[in-house]
Amino acid sequence: MGKYEGDPVWDDVVPIPQDDGEGALAAIAYTDEYAEAMGYLRAVMAAKEYSPRVLDLTEHIISMNAAHYTVWLYRASTLLALNSSIPVELEWVNNVALDNQKNYQIWHHRQILIDHLYDSMSSDPAALKSLAESEVAFMTEMFNEDSKNYHVWSYRQWVVRKLDLFDKGEIECIETLLRQDVRNNSAWSHRFFVVFSNPKYCTPGSKATEYDPKIPGEILDREIEFAKAATFEAPQNQSPWNYLRGVLKKGGRKLSSLECFAGEFVKIPEVGEEDIKSSHALDFLADVWAQKGENEKADKALTLLGDKYDRIRKNYWDWRRTSLK
Amino acid sequence: MALVSGPGRAGALPDELQLAVEAHVKYIQSLDTRRDELEYWLTEHLRLNGLYWGVTALHLLNRPDALPRTETIDFVLSCQAENGGFGAAPGHDAHLLSTVSGIQILAMVDGYEELEKRGKVVAFEGKEYKGKEVVGRYLSGLQNKETGTFAGDEWGEEDTRFLYAGLNGLNLLGLLDLVNVDLAVDYIVSCANFDGGYGVSPGAESHSGQIFTCLAALSIAKRIDTVDKDKLGQWLSERQVEQGGLNGRPEKLEDVCYSWWVASSMTMIGRLHWIDGKKLTEFILRCQDPVGGGFADRPGDMVDVFHTCFGVAGLSLLEFEGLEEVDAV
Ligand SMILES: [Zn+2]
Repeated sequence: MGKYEGDPVWDDVVPIPQDDGEGALAAIAYTDEYAEAMGYLRAVMAAKEYSPRVLDLTEHIISMNAAHYTVWLYRASTLLALNSSIPVELEWVNNVALDNQKNYQIWHHRQILIDHLYDSMSSDPAALKSLAESEVAFMTEMFNEDSKNYHVWSYRQWVVRKLDLFDKGEIECIETLLRQDVRNNSAWSHRFFVVFSNPKYCTPGSKATEYDPKIPGEILDREIEFAKAATFEAPQNQSPWNYLRGVLKKGGRKLSSLECFAGEFVKIPEVGEEDIKSSHALDFLADVWAQKGENEKADKALTLLGDKYDRIRKNYWDWRRTSLK
Repeated sequence: MALVSGPGRAGALPDELQLAVEAHVKYIQSLDTRRDELEYWLTEHLRLNGLYWGVTALHLLNRPDALPRTETIDFVLSCQAENGGFGAAPGHDAHLLSTVSGIQILAMVDGYEELEKRGKVVAFEGKEYKGKEVVGRYLSGLQNKETGTFAGDEWGEEDTRFLYAGLNGLNLLGLLDLVNVDLAVDYIVSCANFDGGYGVSPGAESHSGQIFTCLAALSIAKRIDTVDKDKLGQWLSERQVEQGGLNGRPEKLEDVCYSWWVASSMTMIGRLHWIDGKKLTEFILRCQDPVGGGFADRPGDMVDVFHTCFGVAGLSLLEFEGLEEVDAV
């Protein structure tokens, strides 16, 4: 006898068996436990039942298979219909998320919960602050498992916008993660988002790829110094090099303003062997020199990249050479 | 189509790298017979997507008849829900992604006529529709009229993946005019990042899979002109690692599915020649199980139908001999 079949709580429900579409009922080892629970879920969904036992049932199914989106959706509607405690649900969701790193349905479920909670406390700054703290604490726990989890990072951006977390605390969180792993591209990307979407000083709606005249100079300087320090730590790490280009673009500054700095990683003497500590620095300088019309130097840099320091992309570097005027 | 992985493992190829066509065909044919495995049922929510991956791989392998056409169409139609969309399996709620998989399969096996004959009749705003029109109206109903994005289902989870799926489905049905394409394009443009890539939403990290969906959507909308091709092309070409495969983001491991997303993205912006095609071909071939069939994400891992589809598609893009030409979108 199955878990539900013998349970008086479920006495009134006739489970709807799986129909596999080709007529034959699945007389299969769908493991009995999962099959039975899904049968009961189909029945309560068909009857549009929203009750505490549905919460138990969906929790049980999710413990066996967290990737089935229908189960999550039905659980969310049940929670809202019952006006259940969101904090209690969040605590449970935390554990499910920690056990299911790759699952994304959970994060959508979480958004529904936070949206709901936010509406109930939007006039209470203290409550909002503690909500923000607990969300950040939970994400830190997730990042301890995988600091590049894409679902968590997209969720984090949603939270930053929702709870207005464009503050020093958020930047410090990112710096902690970058101290642990300076190659964490997700953290770099998030930093760019936080710094250059901050409603306190950014032009509303300014795109990530365009110049924003409203960014204060000291913010630009701070970001440039931060990225520079990271390149000294790991010269071959492409994230801070991309970041630097992004900051210069945002600030409307010239690439050549960092020529000296990039030159620290690249020594090309008139005679003898060159000394290249970073192919990204060489690439950066090639662009600087091309912009300044120093095509011979740029061509030499691009040739070195294609022939020696980044051979797998030789065709790309060759194309760059041909586009030198 | 089941998403169960294995039983084979990728790797151990003879010196001469060859594509084990027969083994792959047999592997795909065998997938739906594995109903005695738990994983078959745990992946039920992806059944229709899985069938699409299998059918695509067979078409590219020049073996479109390896799965029976009538049964394939029957299965797809049995997944249609009352609201006109398709669920992942019979009795499941409709979802944007499974609906698009359904359309893609019907398009590939020439099954629209059956959809017209046997598809659900559904009323939208008081008027009854049938066939393609029903599916198109289900899809267009998922577009957010303010932002241009698409929701995956009635709950409104939105991202660029859904946007692409929505446009792709409608385009295949020839019903693109049911939605606001310009608004959708604006949304994608707002997802462009400082490094040249695109993320799942504005400000989200660049990611090869999301770049593919953005470019494919822009291709359908005929607005590839909005892309900074050289900058994006450089970012994409940097995804190639020493082993020849491509990764999804900086500092991540290479993977057959990302190899497809990156390579097809580069094709859409005309920059595929910037990477080393020979090395990529060799990497993909090393990911197949030459005896049991199927591809894995990387050599040594379990094969599955998802990576089998993208492995074959990647090879086709690289013009590997004997394969049907793939459409990058
Ligand atoms: Zn993969």
